[in-house]
Amino acid sequence: MSIGIIANPASGKDIRRLVSCATTIDNNEKVNIVKRITKTVMSLGQDKIYFMPDTFDIGFMVIDALKADREDVSGLEVISMPVSGSLHDSVYAGEIMEQLGTGCIIVLGGDGTSRAVAKGIRKTPMLPISTGTNNVYPTLIEGTVAGMAASALTKMDNIEDCCIRDKRIEVYVNGALRDIALVDATVSLDSYIGAKAIWQAEKIKAIIATRCHPATIGFSAVPGALTIVKDTDDCGVMVEQSADGTGVMAAIAAGTLERMKLTEPEIIPVGGEKEMTFEETCMIALDGEREVKVKPGEKITFKIMRNGPYRVLTRKTIEKAQSMGLYLTD
Amino acid sequence: MADNKDMVKDLYLTMRRIREFETNAMNLFAEGKIPGFVHLYLGEEAVASGVCSNLREDDYITSTHRGHGHIIAKGGDLKFMMAELFGKATGYCKGKGGSMHIADGTRGIIGANGIVGAGQSISTGVGLQILLHKTDQVCVCFFGDGSTNQATFHESLNLAAVWNLPIVFVCENNGYGISNPQSRHQKIKDVADRAVAYGIPGVVCDGNDVFAVRETSAEAIKRAREGKGPTLVECKTYRQRGHFEGDPAIYKPKEEQEAWLKKDPLDKMSKWMTDEGGFSAAEVKAIDDQVKAEVAEAVKFAEDSPYPTPESGVEDVYSDIVEEVRDR
Amino acid sequence: MKKMMTYSEGIREGMSAAMRKDPDVVLFGEDVGMFGGCFGVSAGMFDEFGPERVRDTPISESAIIGCAVGAASTGLRPIAEIMMMDFLTVAMDQMCNNAAKLRFMTGGALHFPMVIRTAGGAGVNAAAQHSQSLEAWVTHVPGLKMVFPSNAQDAYGLMLSAVADDNPVVYEEHKAMLAMESEVDLDEGPIPLGVGKVVRPGSDVTIVAVGNMVHQALAAAETLEKDGIDCEIIDPRTLYPFDFDMVANSIDKTHKAIVVSEEVKRGGYMGEISAQISENLFDSLDAPVVRIGALNTPVPFSPALEPIYLPNAEDIVKAVRSQG
Repeated sequence: MSIGIIANPASGKDIRRLVSCATTIDNNEKVNIVKRITKTVMSLGQDKIYFMPDTFDIGFMVIDALKADREDVSGLEVISMPVSGSLHDSVYAGEIMEQLGTGCIIVLGGDGTSRAVAKGIRKTPMLPISTGTNNVYPTLIEGTVAGMAASALTKMDNIEDCCIRDKRIEVYVNGALRDIALVDATVSLDSYIGAKAIWQAEKIKAIIATRCHPATIGFSAVPGALTIVKDTDDCGVMVEQSADGTGVMAAIAAGTLERMKLTEPEIIPVGGEKEMTFEETCMIALDGEREVKVKPGEKITFKIMRNGPYRVLTRKTIEKAQSMGLYLTD
Repeated sequence: MADNKDMVKDLYLTMRRIREFETNAMNLFAEGKIPGFVHLYLGEEAVASGVCSNLREDDYITSTHRGHGHIIAKGGDLKFMMAELFGKATGYCKGKGGSMHIADGTRGIIGANGIVGAGQSISTGVGLQILLHKTDQVCVCFFGDGSTNQATFHESLNLAAVWNLPIVFVCENNGYGISNPQSRHQKIKDVADRAVAYGIPGVVCDGNDVFAVRETSAEAIKRAREGKGPTLVECKTYRQRGHFEGDPAIYKPKEEQEAWLKKDPLDKMSKWMTDEGGFSAAEVKAIDDQVKAEVAEAVKFAEDSPYPTPESGVEDVYSDIVEEVRDR
Repeated sequence: MKKMMTYSEGIREGMSAAMRKDPDVVLFGEDVGMFGGCFGVSAGMFDEFGPERVRDTPISESAIIGCAVGAASTGLRPIAEIMMMDFLTVAMDQMCNNAAKLRFMTGGALHFPMVIRTAGGAGVNAAAQHSQSLEAWVTHVPGLKMVFPSNAQDAYGLMLSAVADDNPVVYEEHKAMLAMESEVDLDEGPIPLGVGKVVRPGSDVTIVAVGNMVHQALAAAETLEKDGIDCEIIDPRTLYPFDFDMVANSIDKTHKAIVVSEEVKRGGYMGEISAQISENLFDSLDAPVVRIGALNTPVPFSPALEPIYLPNAEDIVKAVRSQG
């Protein structure tokens, strides 16, 4: 069974380098990470790896480098698709890789990249590695370990206990599904997409999150200051900013703790929804990036659903692989 | 910020002014009225407009051979600019510089420059001056992706970093160093990645989205003003024309050109204004008409202006020495 | 008040006086700060003026001159040091294309009051990348002025004028002369650019010499005096603007001219002066103008070779005798 790798060269470069102290990972390091994943997966006997094509040619650079190391690269393939240089590439690559029957897709990027891939897949497990900004969804794990987990997954008959089916937020405007978020949907007083990221706490009207915890970075940390909702809990949470609310501090960006006044957190069960309208033009930021514009008076509906991607639990997967004897040699 | 209709109008006005000026320059060059080399800014309007919208009159910019857009965005006078392109005595440089060398000391425009990368090191001096005079001015240094392979790029970013100078380095990554696509002139895609080598922040934004440019550069300019040092801001954009007028640009793939024309910054902005920004089509057209009239006036001013006298050709070499004019 | 001072101290006194007078005068370059400059010329200035105004730069010659250009165009009067004249080549673009030309190219919209200090000249076994005399390269560029003092008094006075000038001035210091002592009167103040000096009046031959060659010419004059030849030695002090009137007046009297510089002879700036004399004063001349320069080779390192490369008093004596 094959493995797919989607690496977004644009992640980790935006304005959050200036407004917070966000991490920078340059593209050559992304090539390095993908190379480490690839070498690991090849060492474990995988014969087919697909790469998403991108504007920096990460996949081709990895293949060239391995060829120069005299490795057998016959099983490595950059999939054929048009490259727009936008997030749509990640959506599309996810779709194609699922059609190709890959057993796991490793995603390098931030929350935004994971969200894009999640839009393109239905059942393929996804293993997100953080090379982005203030991430909740992808985690900082070594490419080698990610490669080991992905490879192990393809050798298991039953992967249920190695993955979690994630929740997601469906965003409807006037009843029509406009987009989804994996972690949080934040309504802010903006009227254009601009530099995409949001970081100004005073502009925030409401935050809806599938999970929240004070030990995360981003807007889901805000309700996290008052309550904790885990990825396994069958509910989401909603808070609004309100002048007479409870004062909290939360890490809305790397190194940036902001004060906000919040209403009481409202728990929304899976399958439940929350409706709101605003008198001003607003933008809804999905997993930290302004995406959906809402005009005054338009009806916004947020639905919490457990129909998101299957996310690989890396450690659990590798532990199972070990118990299966996958790391024993002659 | 977004709710301010005047701000939106000003951004669009600047972009449209550049577009109209450049389109006229293109046509006038083709008609043979503008001599020499002309490097057009078409397609990159959102960068200069977005960045300069955050600047004060007493802030500084350094520019490049492709500098018309920067100068217009910093408040340069269209009449004196066009007259300079014509080589007339009334031009910004009295006809001695031409398209590539327009400067206006009264508006902090420390010159367009025909040497690729020259403005980078000049900006360090401007930054030093600000630092020593202890003002909160800033210097924005514009340059292209091609210039980031010049030694001046390295020397200047390093110097600016160690001296903590109030400079915003704005790389207009338009995809080409003359005829060479970026992939053939450097092994990175994001020039901003280089910032880490100088210990300064590097950030990427969509150079065809004037709001993205404005927001991103605002933060970098704020850092500089507050004494937090230089920033490298990379704006991804596209040079819609050849390197200079007369360059057929056969090296640019047709699909690439078409894809980028679909992302034209002016189209994007005017569409946003009418679809989402609360502007009527008539309001947008009124700006377009105003700009057309301004540029037409500038062209007429240039056409009606006299050429420089032979005597003026030996002036301005030194402040105090004038050579004799050769007797013809 | 007169006192003995080294050439190096003359330069330093000039810079310090300018900096005391005008807070916009700043000094920057490689190791000019706490280290006091590679040759110690700016020793003590870091302590007097502080790290803001006496600044160490990275080893980035192009940025040093570019920085001076930007600083000068917006209100400072920088003194930028390029440690060795040979390293001007690294900064040539900024010096020639920006410092020199931008005033003209912008129609006078910008101006550049700046000084580029640089140590030229051979005689210290520093080989061909630390010993050159590149006066021709500098003076070839319209927009630059150039001075080259031959003693402490001139070093002081020319520095004051160079800093006060509203144009880029290249200030050459001869590294073999730095420790040379001479009497200086600090009250004498600035020496106007473009005004030469008759170092030794004479009636039989005019010797135009700059920098260290002034001293070789003086030694030659002493020898020739014994032969009954009375040399007039002119130190133009400023290479551009050049005091041609002083040279012309002298030649009107002597009818013979020798021009001496330490540059390689081929294409040297003294060739330009020789050509000007021939073009303008042909009728006054009793003999062709003789150019004296270094050998047309890179500067050799070995103590056995460098003296052979360099022009000296003996060459001047021979040249004068050859003119008959």
